[in-house]
Amino acid sequence: MTVQIPQNVSQETLKRFILTLADDELVLGHRDSEWTGYGPILEEDIAFSNIAQDELGHSLVWFTLYHELGGDHPDSMGFAREWSDFTCCRFVAYPKGDFAYTVVRQFLFDVAEEERLKMLMDSAFPSVREIAEKLSREEAYHILHSQGLVERLGDATEESHQRMQQAVDAAFPQALGMFETIDGEKELVAARVFAGNDILKSEWLKRVIPVLEGATLKVPVRSANGSYVVTCAADEGGRKQNHTEHLRQLVADMQSVYRSIPGAKW
Amino acid sequence: MAEKTKEQLLAEFEARIARGEKVEPGDWMPDEYRKNLIRMIGQHAHSEIVGQLPEGKWIPYAPGFRRKLTLVAKVQDEAGHGQLLYRAAETLGKSREEMLDELLSGKAKYSNVFNYPTPSWADVGTIGWLVDTAAVINQSMLAQSSYGAYARAMKRICYEEAFHIKQGYDLVVALAKGTREQKQMAQDSINRWWYPTLMMSGPPDKMSDHTSLAIRWRIKTKTNDQVRQEYVDHIVPQIRALGLVVPDANCKFNEETGHYDFTPPDWDELKRVVNGDGPCNKERLEVRRRAHEEGRWVREALAAKRKTVARLPQARGGQAA
Amino acid sequence: MSDTQWETYEVFHQARRGDPHEHVGSVHAPDPEMALQLARDQFARRLKCVSIWVARSRDITMTDYQDESFFAQSTDKSYRDPKAFDAPAKTESE
Repeated sequence: MTVQIPQNVSQETLKRFILTLADDELVLGHRDSEWTGYGPILEEDIAFSNIAQDELGHSLVWFTLYHELGGDHPDSMGFAREWSDFTCCRFVAYPKGDFAYTVVRQFLFDVAEEERLKMLMDSAFPSVREIAEKLSREEAYHILHSQGLVERLGDATEESHQRMQQAVDAAFPQALGMFETIDGEKELVAARVFAGNDILKSEWLKRVIPVLEGATLKVPVRSANGSYVVTCAADEGGRKQNHTEHLRQLVADMQSVYRSIPGAKW
Repeated sequence: MAEKTKEQLLAEFEARIARGEKVEPGDWMPDEYRKNLIRMIGQHAHSEIVGQLPEGKWIPYAPGFRRKLTLVAKVQDEAGHGQLLYRAAETLGKSREEMLDELLSGKAKYSNVFNYPTPSWADVGTIGWLVDTAAVINQSMLAQSSYGAYARAMKRICYEEAFHIKQGYDLVVALAKGTREQKQMAQDSINRWWYPTLMMSGPPDKMSDHTSLAIRWRIKTKTNDQVRQEYVDHIVPQIRALGLVVPDANCKFNEETGHYDFTPPDWDELKRVVNGDGPCNKERLEVRRRAHEEGRWVREALAAKRKTVARLPQARGGQAA
Repeated sequence: MSDTQWETYEVFHQARRGDPHEHVGSVHAPDPEMALQLARDQFARRLKCVSIWVARSRDITMTDYQDESFFAQSTDKSYRDPKAFDAPAKTESE
């Protein structure tokens, strides 16, 4: 399988970048799928299961590209790789929490993904452009759903407001970890494969802050000269494989059957 | 218009059924018919949502992308089926909330089969294959039900069940053709699920209270024993074709009857399990209760908040054409 | 409205442009916008769909099955059927 890669960027750098995308989706998709059967109401159970399938599906698409670039097969990558080799942000591995945390996390992640996919539709790497175009269509629906829930739950009742505020307090610093600089990022930017995490973060802030504040939720930012300045520290480290215990447990669970019998096919 | 007597109404109702016509929401119907249907549809709906749990528990552990995606889709379908069935029951005048209260308080019954544990990954396959095969045989029959709303829900459900059976069978085939350990896992699973699936069609006809009215008014068109025999005749050759064993030494094809003979299950066990004393009844209900309680604030909040911002186009009035 | 008892919305689904919208069922939802999304997740998971309508169940006005006279056609109206006319469809040329 020959994939046309752009000039001025190494295959390894590209692979590393694709892997962060694949890992994020796989881990979040896994967390989302933990709600299937346990949702707050039947209709949300069905809706969230859709989102989980989409995220897992996106992960598979990125892993497939990774494989075409010379990496291991998607099932091996997802289900047989050591947890310490994952490159997801720490954010996606935290436990699903209550529904408020899940909704806030989903919203913050969905907007980042949509903005990133927009940027990738201009990528100098044709395979990435194609994938970005395809995935962004599903992403639009996710945001409709997660943003809709944020807007509704943010100020509906005393209890929903409290829970949503707690969720934002926890999730916002964690979400900033999505924009941690990745290895080889300068190369990717120079080769116009990806415009970079700083730009992504600033586009993301422009979208999420008005929605959260509109839902009466306080966010650790202040406005300065027409843009947002974050006033809390980012919970980073995932891109450098500095993960929390939560990822270790998640991966152990996710891989337990797959790895239980060496050489077995399932 | 002259008032009709109860006898006239009943005669018309039964004539309608005899003609093979459907009874629709809003039609006059005998109390027994309404009650029977609410009980049956309610139990069916409860079975779907409790049924999410034995397999749903394995989603975090599903081995590989395809199995994981498939299992999420399957368990999602079960929520969807529950939703369709509760809606059908609601057309008979009982609210979903009331039905859920009865389920969570332990008053309502649901299929026996979901009160058994799923200790191994192989059980996900066995449930999809054996349990859903038994369910489909029952459900295809119910799709002919005299009550229109139930028949419509059942048709949609049957369409999706084909996928459920196939994915379950595919999973077990992979095990049966796999390592010795995998094949043993599949056999263990079948050993544990064989009798519970036989019990799914309900108590034997001679012991069933509700059957005669249900048949007379075509709520169902086959008896429990008929459905059970159909299941056995269908599944036994499939199990043996995989090199797996049916855990019943008496299970043999009978040339005279043209059906498989089999040892009947322990009907006392069925009674106990259906009445709340199975291995997982308490646990299953506890999980559902907790999910329900933890979700209360969400339901209340969404009910309280009227969303006024419309981001989607309103269909303009009078456009229906 | 108690906590699990949202209103119901009837769902109509159009498979392809040009097809009529078909009634496929109903959903409980807290508002019309969510009803659309929940209807999409419940009824358009597998079926091809280009358009969904939702309408509050209570806004649907319906006939009463008992009132069969509403649909009565008791006098001969066969004149409305093309088969009721003897004139051949084609006329022979002179």
